[in-house]
Amino acid sequence: MSGLTERVIKVNVVRAAALYAALIVVAWCALFPMLWALSGSLKKEAGVSEPTLLPAHPQWFNYGLVFALMPFWRMLLNTMLYAGCVTVGQVFFCSLAGYAFARLPFRGRDTLFLLYLATLMVPLTVTVIPQFILMRTFGWTDTPWAMIIPGLFGSAFGTYLMRQFFLTLPTDLEEAAILDGCSPWQVYWRIMLPHTKPAVMVLAVLTWVNVWNDFLWPLVMIQRKDIATLTLGLVWLQGQYVSRWPVLMAASILILLPLLGVYAFAQRAFLRGITVTGFGGR
Amino acid sequence: MTRTRRRAWAGRVFVAPNLAALAVFMLFPLGFSLYMSFQRWDLFTPAKFVGLANFRTLFTADPLFLIALRNTVVFTVGTIVPTVLISLVVAALLNRKLMGIGFFRAVIFVPLAVSSVVMAVVWQFVFNVDDGLLNTMLGWIGLGPVPWLVEPGWAMVSLCMVSVWRSVPFATVVLLAAMQGVPETLYEAAKIDGASEWRRFVSITVPLIRGALSFVVIISIINAFQAFDLVYVLTGGNGGPETGTYVLGIMLFQHAFAFLDFGYASALAWVMFAILLVLTVLQLRFARRVSLEN
Repeated sequence: MSGLTERVIKVNVVRAAALYAALIVVAWCALFPMLWALSGSLKKEAGVSEPTLLPAHPQWFNYGLVFALMPFWRMLLNTMLYAGCVTVGQVFFCSLAGYAFARLPFRGRDTLFLLYLATLMVPLTVTVIPQFILMRTFGWTDTPWAMIIPGLFGSAFGTYLMRQFFLTLPTDLEEAAILDGCSPWQVYWRIMLPHTKPAVMVLAVLTWVNVWNDFLWPLVMIQRKDIATLTLGLVWLQGQYVSRWPVLMAASILILLPLLGVYAFAQRAFLRGITVTGFGGR
Repeated sequence: MTRTRRRAWAGRVFVAPNLAALAVFMLFPLGFSLYMSFQRWDLFTPAKFVGLANFRTLFTADPLFLIALRNTVVFTVGTIVPTVLISLVVAALLNRKLMGIGFFRAVIFVPLAVSSVVMAVVWQFVFNVDDGLLNTMLGWIGLGPVPWLVEPGWAMVSLCMVSVWRSVPFATVVLLAAMQGVPETLYEAAKIDGASEWRRFVSITVPLIRGALSFVVIISIINAFQAFDLVYVLTGGNGGPETGTYVLGIMLFQHAFAFLDFGYASALAWVMFAILLVLTVLQLRFARRVSLEN
């Protein structure tokens, strides 16, 4: 009997070891480009190809070089400004419209919502050229407005997300408030919005990451260094200093770090958002 | 009665700013883009109506369109097939109740937060032919240096590899969530019937997460078909070497923002949109038929 138990335990230990080994391999595959970039950012240019992960003499000045070669802080500030404005705007206007679509019936509302759903199908490919021409007509190319205004007043995607969430909230939450004579705005602002924190987090994190990582739009909109975003700055740096790997890797790591912070801080909301919306798959 | 009317008015006011933005930045561009696809226009001279000429040129007189289309199909298939297979395995692995599984999940999903631009720059470093990490490692097992981003065929392979690396975490998140929704009792019952682990995976897990699988495939097709950021940064913006990574996204960008040929680029955009719509509908049909048959 004890022999059998021993054998069962042994099989389980072997299985668990195999599973952990597999997990470590997968985790390594996910992380090695970033670890290799970190390692490269601390090496000398001459010895950058040595296959050691931890250089004996870390060359921290590569990071100093990044600050000397590109206006990093300025670009960080710009990126944070754009991401911050668009995120706040999206959360406010999408939750407002989402609440109306969920709870405030008016004539033609459901037809209008179908229109919103239909625009979710439209790919960026089709809209980017006319949006560019629109920005030119407004005279907003190469200004911060081009980075902020188009996303500021909400989107079909965010409205859809918020509406679905408002629909899951129980109606008696607001009924009492309505009987007490609260206006629709008060009901939305004081009662409903505080209850939508999970959905707001999802929308906020997805928007933030999306604006932060955006490339095509800043690429066609911005030429001036002092209003550029970090991704744009990295591509310019890459074009100017081809194959100077340590400094390029240091810049990559610096751009990566803030997002890893957001990921660590809001991982749950971020992953939930991706599961529900399929947003992160690009 | 007045309360209902008041609420209706509030509804209209609440939707108004959002709807205005949608009209200006989405609906108008949509219509304008269709209009432009029938024009010849370069911003500096007045637009000229040319009928279907842009589409005719695209299909009959532009050899680069066929190359871009072929490359895009290769890229899409080369991204999606490995992504689905790998992410099924990884999701099954992450769906175990093991100590520290939360840590592994967090680590494996990190690439989701990283921008394609940063990742493309980092992977260039990994792919470096003379002394990059991949060729160094291949050297250890006696394989010759591979001309990763230098030779057109290998450039496409490199592109697919990075793309798979980026899409696997996304597909895994979605599939894992679906797997966690499969009721435990089904597995218990199958276990009692003596079904092996592989058998349980194929006969219970995969059929029950079919909806999530189809979702992953559609989203991945849509993204891969329009790929731009990754290609632009990884292979230098021209779809090179030669036309090795010249995909539709790059072609669109060049015609629109390098040649300022807005009419032609808009026609191309609508062709891409049409192909995407057809693919999506086909995929939905196919998924529904499979689920009806079972």
